[in-house]
Amino acid sequence: MRKRFGAVQAVDGVDLELVPGEIHALVGENGAGKSTLAAIAYRAVHPDEGSVASDGVVGLVHQHFKLIDRLCVWENVLLNREPRRGWSIDVAAARTRVRELSARYGLDVDPDARVETLPIGIKQRVELLRELDREPSVLLLDEPTAALAPGEIASFFTTVQDLAKRGTAILVVTHKLAEVIAYSQRVTVMRAGRVVASHLTGETSADQIAREMVGGEVPALAARANTVVAPLLALRGMSAQSGTSVLREASFEVRAGEIVGVAGVEGNGQSALADAIAGVVPFTGEMTFGGEPLRAHETPASRIARGIRVIPQDRRHEALVLSWNVRDNVALGRQRALALAKFDDAAREVIERFDVRPPNPDALAGALSGGNQQKIVVGRTLTSAPKLVVAYQPTRGIDVGAAALVQSRLIEARNAGAGVLLISFELDEIFAVADRILVIANGAFVGEFDRANLDRGRIGALMAGHA
Amino acid sequence: MTASFTRTRAFRDVVVVIVLVFGVGSVAMLLAHVSPVDGFAALFDGAFGTRGEIAETLVQTTNLLFPALGVALAFRAGLFNIGAEGQLVIGGFAAGWLGAQFPLAGYLAVPMVLLAGVIGGGVWGAIPGVLRARFGANEVISTLMLNVIAVLLTTYLVTGPLQQGNAGASETGPLPKAAQLPDLLSDTRLTWAFVIAIVLAIVLHWVLQRTVFGYELRAAGDAPEAAKRAGIDLGRTALVAMTLSGAIAGLGGATIVAGVLHRFNTGLSPGYGFIAIAVALVGNLEPLWIIVASLGFGILASGAIGMQTEAQVPREVVSLIIGLVIVALAGRRVIATMRST
Repeated sequence: MRKRFGAVQAVDGVDLELVPGEIHALVGENGAGKSTLAAIAYRAVHPDEGSVASDGVVGLVHQHFKLIDRLCVWENVLLNREPRRGWSIDVAAARTRVRELSARYGLDVDPDARVETLPIGIKQRVELLRELDREPSVLLLDEPTAALAPGEIASFFTTVQDLAKRGTAILVVTHKLAEVIAYSQRVTVMRAGRVVASHLTGETSADQIAREMVGGEVPALAARANTVVAPLLALRGMSAQSGTSVLREASFEVRAGEIVGVAGVEGNGQSALADAIAGVVPFTGEMTFGGEPLRAHETPASRIARGIRVIPQDRRHEALVLSWNVRDNVALGRQRALALAKFDDAAREVIERFDVRPPNPDALAGALSGGNQQKIVVGRTLTSAPKLVVAYQPTRGIDVGAAALVQSRLIEARNAGAGVLLISFELDEIFAVADRILVIANGAFVGEFDRANLDRGRIGALMAGHA
Repeated sequence: MTASFTRTRAFRDVVVVIVLVFGVGSVAMLLAHVSPVDGFAALFDGAFGTRGEIAETLVQTTNLLFPALGVALAFRAGLFNIGAEGQLVIGGFAAGWLGAQFPLAGYLAVPMVLLAGVIGGGVWGAIPGVLRARFGANEVISTLMLNVIAVLLTTYLVTGPLQQGNAGASETGPLPKAAQLPDLLSDTRLTWAFVIAIVLAIVLHWVLQRTVFGYELRAAGDAPEAAKRAGIDLGRTALVAMTLSGAIAGLGGATIVAGVLHRFNTGLSPGYGFIAIAVALVGNLEPLWIIVASLGFGILASGAIGMQTEAQVPREVVSLIIGLVIVALAGRRVIATMRST
């Protein structure tokens, strides 16, 4: 199979066979071609070369749910396949059909609940039920656990294993190697559009798969030096709201010279936390920085002036101007302090220290890979001598090499005496980087752990909302 | 929708526009039983045939250039100011009323009259700016409505409370000689307004590309979320950009009053402020390209009369061409916007 998008050969001569009853994991870095391959298998994208053959229907569960929030569960599950009675929908039959479907697969859900009121784990069940109603013989799952807490992940895979036992062929596209090892029978590794390895899962290891994904050794992180911690940011009973994200009564400290990790599943108040510290939304309660109180309605500009710099979650919309070049993007946030004459020097410093490729200040930001875009954002933040860095999902969707560089630079900023608040949905990242871990669930901080005594099971349970 | 979607490759657009102008024009002329060669020859002859016609082409260019620069400034800040017509009319009225009401003399007369236009247009632009910054009101709606208000308000004022000329005449009294813009070409209507407009375009280009203010304004337009998080005050930027945008259009109105009509007349604009939107878009919102685009539209506007008299092609053909250019460019951008969201 081959597929080209512009200058990018997304999928380059790939053969893939899915067998009934088998869970097949497809792994690779961002941009390796996994999602394109899944889309081709689903027949949403036509390959330039090659063909897809399958017995029966192919189902696809998207990474980002494609549900209509304002409709209820049965309306979503049966969308466009509603049982009819003359001109109208047979609501009773529809409800029965969804109930039977959930009973058959052990996916408990109320057919009449409105989707927007459901927690993420249940939304995923709805998404799955919608595909299962079509009785697929092949089921494609694209990063299915991205939004699930560790406990939910286990129960999700129990369902998937059950489906496989009934004879469905399953393809799981993922980057979480622990899940690959735990739940798949076969694993295919892609890199740069090609299949570089294919194993029976029992005959390989997470380390070997990681090396095959990267095409070499996984880079080590910077060493953490001993630092003298000193009080920096303190929150006392701080509450805030940003869009649908709500944070309630947060109380904690980030000290200079340490990295505090906020562990939690997406959508549990992290955006409100980041935006309140950034000055994008107001807050109630108390927040002090370096002993001085922060005002509730202070602007982002004054937070920047205090030395508080935030790396936003969505680099494409919240951090970069994609239609601009690297030089002007590096200056963003310091445009007044630098003035135009120093834009070029600042850009060259970031390009050099953060290994931005291509090393060209005139390159358009939108044309760079996600990893290089993120290097610009992290680079301009860390080279502006910040006192506090809030890094919100700083390695989302970037390749392993770039992620290691970003994480190393955060550790170096901590070693140099900055306070770092790392908000991440990836528990592995937090374990690798943070000195202290706070757990957030349902908009509240529910636990604190020191690097010296981490309890993964306990943290997972807290993230899922089990006190 | 942000302004970055409305800016595309200038070269491609220019080609599209030229093909459209000649293609649509040819079809329309054939329908009027005129050879397109004769028709376009008459059009260019009407625009460049004599010294007076060249001057008239540059007058039309000037009258489009001011509001187009104003529109471009707002669009670059992500604000769809379609109120240039109203801002131009208010600026023209302020200039005409001040010039006729007070016997200004000496070198200060012309600057005072132009300043009145800047202030009038600036205020008319600031109103939707404030509404947007304070209450989040959509500037498309507010500027569109303010166009209507501007025309009706000035008509009421010149025929009612601030009447200066003959009773019932929809114009102010005449401007004294000292308050009139000096001619650039003698015995034509072309004045120093043309030079002011060109200089303004160059200054605007410099401001947008070479100042931190321009940088912040473009950031607010191209990526508002990123700009906000980089410490740029979006409300303040919107207010400043709308005020400046209106001031530039208002200055254009004042130059028509002080240079061409020598009084304010309620019919001073045959829709310059609306055509200016197309001019700004054809010029890809780049001030220097907008000079070229204004010249192109100026040729069409002034050549239309010659085309009608010499080749018997109805001058409405030019309106048809301009209309289709607007539809084509707007359509392309709507499609681009839909694809990118």
